[in-house]
Amino acid sequence: MAALAPLDRESRLAQPAAATAPSRSEAGTPGPENFERIVDEYQRRLYGFALRMTGNREDAEEIVQDAFVRAYRALAKMDPKQRAELRLQPWLYTITLNVTRNRLRSKRPSNVALDALADPDALLNETQEGPDQPEAIIERGADMVLVEQALLQLPMHLRAAATLRFIEGRSHPEIAEILNQPIGTVKSHVHRAVRILRRILGPQVGRIAPQEGDAAHAVL
Amino acid sequence: MRCSDLVRLWDDLREAGAAPSREAVLAHLRLCSDCQDAYREYEGIAYCLTCLPVVEPPTGLVPKILEHINSLRPASPDMFSHVRSPLGDLIVAFRETGITAIAICSEDSDSSLCESIAKRLRRGLVPAKAPQWVIDVVESYFRTFDADRSKVDISALTEFERAALRKAAEIPCGEVRSYGWIAREIGQPAAARAVGQAMARNPVPLLYPCHRVVDSTGALHNYAYGLELKARILEMEGYVPPARAVNAGAGASRA
Repeated sequence: MAALAPLDRESRLAQPAAATAPSRSEAGTPGPENFERIVDEYQRRLYGFALRMTGNREDAEEIVQDAFVRAYRALAKMDPKQRAELRLQPWLYTITLNVTRNRLRSKRPSNVALDALADPDALLNETQEGPDQPEAIIERGADMVLVEQALLQLPMHLRAAATLRFIEGRSHPEIAEILNQPIGTVKSHVHRAVRILRRILGPQVGRIAPQEGDAAHAVL
Repeated sequence: MRCSDLVRLWDDLREAGAAPSREAVLAHLRLCSDCQDAYREYEGIAYCLTCLPVVEPPTGLVPKILEHINSLRPASPDMFSHVRSPLGDLIVAFRETGITAIAICSEDSDSSLCESIAKRLRRGLVPAKAPQWVIDVVESYFRTFDADRSKVDISALTEFERAALRKAAEIPCGEVRSYGWIAREIGQPAAARAVGQAMARNPVPLLYPCHRVVDSTGALHNYAYGLELKARILEMEGYVPPARAVNAGAGASRA
């Protein structure tokens, strides 16, 4: 049975070693001295986020580098109390988003390389990863490109909300924290993003919509 | 519950902990076929997004980030100690990677010498007892007029400065070469003046023998500790200057 599970992404986004890595409480509060571990733990997540936001691998790479450098500088200036209270993951997403905004603002939209996202290897790996993935994804490879392109057509704030919600699998309160918005606004942005995507994808959505056994059916 | 109220609650159904509104939403959905269609479309889009592949970052990303981060970290200070030599006391700065600076004690106070070393290396300097290997490297120079440069660390210098000093280290003891010769040898024939700068800023005199570099006429030209000391070190190494060149050098220094 095909599972609709945003939370499944969590295990795939985390580093392979994350299961055995010490938790934050064991590893201590984040700081410049354990920054290697922070980079190791969050680089995949932040790169994926930046890539979905920009649609361009080079941009994503530079954004993630810049974001980590900013995070390092900021951590170095914090006092121990601030570090202990810091919620690292949302904070890192916020920094990445700010860097992305600055970068996209200074770039023309025509620079977005839509085709950079359509990585056949990534799609193949995805489908081989586990039995939980719907086999139909192999056939839907071409549709994935449409979805990626549609996402990039959203205004930045809606793209951020939809990416964090569905691709990064973040909860509403966490997205509210990342975007520094009320939860109601986040929900509204997520909803608007989906409505626009539905309009962009139009007739395509019928073909790629979940079939019997997916969550939409499960709840009805 | 109205259809327009419902749409804002769809995404709540995806949360693991059931929202308080869940039952009301489901009750409405069971009865309203329009909302069922709209909900399927909504879930279809959400489903497509969750199915987008997790993209692997390039393998070089982490090393690049860490390299950048490391360049931001303040370097640990070098240590320094006094070491006796035939030229008088030396202040020798070192870290685990090698000797990083030498200053020949003169009329300048130790603190001002240390200050200029710290400025040159862009790192702090703390006093410490010289380990035996540091003493050995220095003493070995005065015995052989050569140095074990694997124990000398010039990594704080620019690439050009390092190339010029390494070339200077190829000048045999008892001989001299010109700034222009080094410039040509390191493939930058027009950079004789820059070579002069690099020699003047050499943080590890003696161990990298900048004193063996003179101008194209053979005049000693310049030395951080004065031409007299340059001549003395060269003489100690067995260099016999042509009489005319020494005079020219002395003349130039007064000019």
